[in-house]
Amino acid sequence: MDADFRHTTIPTTWLLARVWRVVLFAGLLAVILTGCATPPPADDKDAVADYKLTNDPLEPTNRVFYDVNNGLDTVLLKPAAQAYRFVLPGGVRDGIHNVLTNLGTTVQLSNDVMQGKPRRAGDTTMRFLINSTFGVVGIFDIAKDWGYPNHDTDFGMTLANWGVTDGPFLFLPVLGPSSPRDLAGFGVDMVQDPFTWIGHTTAMQTVNWTKFGLNALDSRERYLDPIEQIKKAALDPYATFRSLYRQHRDGQLKALREDNRATIPVWFPQAQTTTPPQTR
Amino acid sequence: MVNRRAFLLTSCASLLPLLTRPAWAQSSSDRAAAFVKTTGDAILKAMQTAGTNAERRKMIGPIIDRAIDVDGVAKFCLGRFWNTATPDQRQRYTELFHEVLIGNITDKLGEYQQVKLTVGRSLARDDNEIVSSTIERPNNPITTVQWVVANVATDPKVIDVIAEETSLRLTQRSDYASFLSHNNNDVDKLIAAMKQQLAQN
Repeated sequence: MDADFRHTTIPTTWLLARVWRVVLFAGLLAVILTGCATPPPADDKDAVADYKLTNDPLEPTNRVFYDVNNGLDTVLLKPAAQAYRFVLPGGVRDGIHNVLTNLGTTVQLSNDVMQGKPRRAGDTTMRFLINSTFGVVGIFDIAKDWGYPNHDTDFGMTLANWGVTDGPFLFLPVLGPSSPRDLAGFGVDMVQDPFTWIGHTTAMQTVNWTKFGLNALDSRERYLDPIEQIKKAALDPYATFRSLYRQHRDGQLKALREDNRATIPVWFPQAQTTTPPQTR
Repeated sequence: MVNRRAFLLTSCASLLPLLTRPAWAQSSSDRAAAFVKTTGDAILKAMQTAGTNAERRKMIGPIIDRAIDVDGVAKFCLGRFWNTATPDQRQRYTELFHEVLIGNITDKLGEYQQVKLTVGRSLARDDNEIVSSTIERPNNPITTVQWVVANVATDPKVIDVIAEETSLRLTQRSDYASFLSHNNNDVDKLIAAMKQQLAQN
């Protein structure tokens, strides 16, 4: 039993340690080399207000990582995503996207529950049951047409729902735009993902890496055109991506907070409203 | 008795605005949605009929000038730097902003021959109407887009476009603010960069 447990911890430790080591080491190195942003003079109130609103004290470091990621993207990820689009027809790519979404159900469900959103948790459960069966192991998103649309969620959003603020902007190596809260959320989501824990055999490690690679290709392919247009239209693409990331996160959180649907579905027999007995 | 009748009449009269308000709100929403539909269809038609990018820009320019409060958006996007810019800089910047906006819209839609715009319902927020829509483009996920329309009753104009919860004018404002803060807050440098951007596209 103990031996099995030790075996199962190897890939997790390895994977988590690798990601964290790369992120932390690169982050520390870049902070040392590039330093922090210089705040504007205190008498320029408008500039100070802008500086606080931007909340990007590590901007010089972040810009270094933006350039690194941009270089990696230009050389590796973008051509790979273009090839992925060229080789596979749209229907097949949609199928792969749906399977990957279906495989993320456990993390999604766990976050729905921790956010205290029973209807979202119900949607996630129904989506998994319907798409895994009628949707042929998740290839077809039948559940969406049956009234159970997908929704965005992660532990960063769970933390936000608990009242944790996002903190300063971060642009991380490989991972891209983030914040301390969302970075912590990313780590917790990795721990929550059963695929992190069951990859102790060669076969499972292959599955994990395939899933990782397909996820990267799928995400990049879906944003090939918008990213190209943003880079073309922006005078300062880094600032534009920073703004878009924050607005997008705010939008996701707004949707989460405003999703206060009643817990009892409309098709379920509604309970009779009873008047409490009068004591006097 | 007279007083009672007068009281009842006054009460009923005071309720009238409340009774008529939903009808007014409905018509305002309908008008905003129809305005977005007409504008969107006109732009898409121009995109499909024009052959080259230059032709497209020429065709959609008047539509955008008519439907979007370009001067207002330009002022918003320059943010606090609008107050420090000279009248000459403001004029040159606003003229360029018109061209940049037309160029961006043409670029965004120009690659796709089959763009489908579906306009949904409109909701009143503050003094504006927010019209929901979806845009479908080949090889891209369906995008939800909200159009913020001001002055619906008199002279409707789009003052912002919110795609997937990201505001076009807020994003543009943040782009310009960052560019200026890295270029000594010099509006002339922004104008030069915008000119260069137009020349490249």
